[in-house]
Amino acid sequence: MEEVKAYIESGILELYVLGQLNAQEQIEVEAMASKYPEIKREIEAIEIAMEQYAVQNAIQPSVNLENKILEKIGTSKTTEKPEPIIEPVKIIEPAKEAVIVPLNTAPYESKIKSLRIALVACIALLAVSIVALYSAHNQLGVAKDQIASLSLNNEKFTSTVNFMKQSNADLQKIIDMNNDPDWKAVKLAGTDMDPKAKMTVYWHAKGKHVMVDNSKMDLPANDQQHQYQLWAIVNGKPVDLGVFDVKSDSTHILLAMKEIGSAAAFAVTLEKKGGSVSPTMNQMIVIGNVSI
Amino acid sequence: MGTTKKISLSEEELVSKLKNRDTIAVQALYDMYSGALLGVISRIIQQTEVAEDLLQETFIKIWNSADSYDSSKGRLFTWMMNIARNLAIDKLRSKDFKNSGKNQDIENNVDFIDAQKEVTFNADILGIKDMVTALKPEFNNVLDMVYFKGYTHVETAEELNLPLGTVKTRIRMAIMELRKHFN
Repeated sequence: MEEVKAYIESGILELYVLGQLNAQEQIEVEAMASKYPEIKREIEAIEIAMEQYAVQNAIQPSVNLENKILEKIGTSKTTEKPEPIIEPVKIIEPAKEAVIVPLNTAPYESKIKSLRIALVACIALLAVSIVALYSAHNQLGVAKDQIASLSLNNEKFTSTVNFMKQSNADLQKIIDMNNDPDWKAVKLAGTDMDPKAKMTVYWHAKGKHVMVDNSKMDLPANDQQHQYQLWAIVNGKPVDLGVFDVKSDSTHILLAMKEIGSAAAFAVTLEKKGGSVSPTMNQMIVIGNVSI
Repeated sequence: MGTTKKISLSEEELVSKLKNRDTIAVQALYDMYSGALLGVISRIIQQTEVAEDLLQETFIKIWNSADSYDSSKGRLFTWMMNIARNLAIDKLRSKDFKNSGKNQDIENNVDFIDAQKEVTFNADILGIKDMVTALKPEFNNVLDMVYFKGYTHVETAEELNLPLGTVKTRIRMAIMELRKHFN
């Protein structure tokens, strides 16, 4: 018994309970415990003391920890389950929403309906607008064409009026010249080059004015490279009086030429464009003497 | 909430149900001992969250290794307590826990102190606390190191520069005081 007491007092049993022994020492203690009930009782007393100490120093874990542990182990406490109480509440909430939804749909539908009508109206209005715009565009085109043709007509009239004014003025002048004794009308007749050719030159000896009358002119039209040149014959010598064109659309009836104070005759030759210093005699188309 | 029905079974029933993998045993063990085990763990690991994680691990380990429990070798609680203590000490010594400890903010410590204070005001415990502090500091210190700090008795001897026999004696004296108190 001394051996047992010494063993107990060595403190090895406390270390055994505290898990401080290695495997071999543990087996030794367990062998001793099964051999000596006193040792076994001693161990139990130590265990109970440590257990009491632990229980007295207990700290309560969080409420949900138990369920967490039981879940991990693969079970859950059937005696109390707060979830089923919560679930009906969860069900009620969607149900409330489900009630609210149909209530809300009516105004929404009418809103959608009115929006649809508005959309259709907008589309119709847009279509009408496009048609109106298109027709307006067409009308504008027609109007533009009309304006263009009108302005063209206007130009024609203006030019016609101008032409007529000019013609009228020229004709008036011719009448005046015929009535004025100072003006002499010199008729030029065609030469061998063109016997049919003829023209009239008005000459104011005092004022030295020389005019060619387009209306009484019958010369073939000249080309781009040539022009007619009027000559005055003074003391048997030709004097240049300037060039002129014979065109079908000539606006002026009277054409003023260079001035000359005295002349025995007038002649016209066909010269190169711009005229020549002296007349090309074989190109003389008309000639006429000044009658005294 | 107040309807929680505490399950309490005798140790024999508990052991047989646990070995038969009846989950009622875990519920009973939880009801009876979760607080005590968390108390043990919390003395080693102060952070409540980590301590509760360890308590969860403890119960899972109890459940999974129920077969290894031999009632002839000791009481069920001793077995469970050592599982809890070993898990907590492993955690305390683990690298990640040491690192997290460096960044431990003061709030957690305050919480822990508060929790301890709460325990102190428990009338049942008041006596123990007095008793433990009434222990000669050198006895208390040795039990503390082995029981709560995770030192082995060999390490404790080295740390306190005491002969191994003295450490053993002091542990015994401390536990004798506890026994005296509870008897």
